[in-house]
Amino acid sequence: MSASATRARPPDLAAGGEPFLFGLGGALLAGLFMILGVLALILWNGAATFWPRPIERVELRSGHTLAGEPIRSERFRPAGSAAESRRTLYRVGNYDLYGDEFRWVDEAEIGRRDRPGDLVLIERLEWGVFIGRLVGAETAGRALDPADAEAFAAVHAEARRRWRGMRALERDAIAEVNRRIERERLDLRRLELRHGAGSAIVRAAADAAESRLVHWRAEHGRLSERLERLRSEDARDTARVVESGGREVALKLSAIVRFYPANALGPLGAIRVYLSRWAEFLSEEPREANTEGGVWPAIFGTLAMTVLLSLLVAPLGVMTALYLREYARQGRAVAAVRIAVNNLAGVPSIVYGVFGLGFFAYLAGGTIDALGFAESLPNPTFGTGGLLWASLTLAMLTVPVVIVATEEALASVPRSMREGSLACGASQWQTIRRIVLPRAMPGILTGLILAMARGAGEVAPLMLTGVVKLAPELPIDASFPYLHLERSFMHLGFHIFDVGFQSRNSEAAKPMVFVAALVLILLVAALNALAILIRARLAARFRGGQF
Amino acid sequence: MTAIPTFEPTLYHVKRGEQGTALDIAGFSLWYGPAARALHDVALAVEAGLVTALIGPSGCGKSTLLRSLNRMNDLIDGLRTEGRIRFQDQDIYHPDTDVIALRKRMGMVFQKPNPFPMSIFENVVYPLRIDGVRDKGRLAETAERALSGAALWDEVKDRLEDSALGLSGGQQQRLCIARAIAAEPDVLLMDEPCSALDPIATARIEELIDGLRGRYTIVMVTHNMQQAARVSDNTAFMYLGRLIEYGDTETVFTNPKRPRTTDYITGRFG
Repeated sequence: MSASATRARPPDLAAGGEPFLFGLGGALLAGLFMILGVLALILWNGAATFWPRPIERVELRSGHTLAGEPIRSERFRPAGSAAESRRTLYRVGNYDLYGDEFRWVDEAEIGRRDRPGDLVLIERLEWGVFIGRLVGAETAGRALDPADAEAFAAVHAEARRRWRGMRALERDAIAEVNRRIERERLDLRRLELRHGAGSAIVRAAADAAESRLVHWRAEHGRLSERLERLRSEDARDTARVVESGGREVALKLSAIVRFYPANALGPLGAIRVYLSRWAEFLSEEPREANTEGGVWPAIFGTLAMTVLLSLLVAPLGVMTALYLREYARQGRAVAAVRIAVNNLAGVPSIVYGVFGLGFFAYLAGGTIDALGFAESLPNPTFGTGGLLWASLTLAMLTVPVVIVATEEALASVPRSMREGSLACGASQWQTIRRIVLPRAMPGILTGLILAMARGAGEVAPLMLTGVVKLAPELPIDASFPYLHLERSFMHLGFHIFDVGFQSRNSEAAKPMVFVAALVLILLVAALNALAILIRARLAARFRGGQF
Repeated sequence: MTAIPTFEPTLYHVKRGEQGTALDIAGFSLWYGPAARALHDVALAVEAGLVTALIGPSGCGKSTLLRSLNRMNDLIDGLRTEGRIRFQDQDIYHPDTDVIALRKRMGMVFQKPNPFPMSIFENVVYPLRIDGVRDKGRLAETAERALSGAALWDEVKDRLEDSALGLSGGQQQRLCIARAIAAEPDVLLMDEPCSALDPIATARIEELIDGLRGRYTIVMVTHNMQQAARVSDNTAFMYLGRLIEYGDTETVFTNPKRPRTTDYITGRFG
């Protein structure tokens, strides 16, 4: 570079501005890398988890044999040795036999390893996977050749269908009868509370209830008997399997979720297993302390809570902002309220959880219970965490976002618009409804989208206000009154925490953390996309002026 | 402004209309805050059916006076008024006055065209919409009448459903005039209606105002002296919140009675 004649002093580094440009661009790049890194990590780990792996049979120098999926290998220093060695982690399964699902194997101890085609991986309802060979099967007292894959698959499918029937019987029919019996008890208890135990009304009602109860108890007995019959039928369908050490075990066919010959699968078979695992994950309930099975209740709970939260936060936030911006006299009081609202957004979310538990669940819920559900006490109905309280807590947590965004949006509507409308003889409310709100709607929706995204990703306050590790029932189902706002529910965010950090089998849980995280991200992204789509459509409508 | 201006009593020599007085302003004062007095004892009678121009240098209170007529100033916190403005046997600032009904009797056109972000049609029928009119025939009829009245009908009759924001500035201002006259008010208030427009659009608006004369009582604030001279019947000159001279336009412009009016009109200050 040649020195400029007009510039006497050496150029100041800051005068050119380029170093700052690099700094700014670098900051952006760092941010992008972090986001893409997170997404790539979760996507890769989440997407790869369900892909079937090959099974290796390993003969150790000690003469012992084991079979398992190689998970990963690493360098390590064996105890009392100076030299480094390699070891591999195998998922050997058969928890019921070995007492451990994973095993580290020192490479130095391995004599021979191969991948025989007859090894199968069996996913079971209990005790995790079984890895071994299928040697025989029995259905209704007669033997079945497991080599006849088609017949075996048919019998297995039949056993699974029977198992689903048993589950439905237990969950739906018998549970419904139990609910009826419980309702009779609660009705009686309510009468007792109102008229006093032993009064004539209560005695008459008890007699009437008794005749109905006889019917329900008989129904209960009938259903239980049917269930028992199915169970004994079920016990006769078994498969005999042999683990790599030679021990033989009989497995109930109905307890086998899925089985496949891991080393003789072929690409098409692998894809089939992969998709079937995803389908199970998205549509089934969790089992094995949430480390296996699906996350459907958690997906459903997250969706239900987010929708309810949006329904609660939208009117609350928009109306507050309307009052603050359009009606309240702008003065110190309003300025103080505004500062308070902004600070509310900075309160740690767990504090909201404490508030939600103390105020909503215990105080408000306890009052509702005392007034409306006294017959159930001491069992709380609303007086404990539940969908409604969790959504309300999150609505409180996210309402500042909506208020601030709505205020901004309202402030951006030009004064001339309002004056034009008022000068036409419109009232303040007509002006707001016809001119101000339509103009502000895209901005308001942006605030709602932000609030929704924040709420869907929040976990800490939920742990106190209604999210549980395993909810026996969904908050929306076919039994009256269909929407059960008082029920506790499952949530994907909490599910991730629970699987990752609260489960006894951390090695098995780790991949599930990534899968659940992937599903949560996709769910939030889908919700946002939906909201953005709605906003775009609304904005287009208001541009056309057909409001 | 160094010297404290001396009080000059208003000089009054207006042209009388045939329909009497529309707005009778008497002893009207206005404060924007405890110490911010914007109007001092303004007394002025607006003749019905005529065009009255309010002129004066910036900050003289002419816009404040205009916006007091339909109580648009109510939106400002800390506002206080004294005196009275009579309109159709009613004091505009009486606590019992229905402001909304009042504004429906007075159309207003603003400095900058402010069409709503809706279709042209919806803009024009907005005053009817807020009254809850749903009759399609009546809405269409009003739209045509108002747009014709604002000399816009021929230009937009084929695209009534298009957004009003797609019109040119002059068209937008005529649309605002159409909106102002759609509810058939008695008075039209215009706050520098041409200041944001080019000369050709300005000429069209002036033509339009001329055409509206007689049907509406028009009160117009303007910075443009020639415009006041061209379109108004009476002119009120204001200075520092006081009405200095109010007379028929020809006299005010050719033979002003007050030295300060002369100074302003001849461009010695402003």
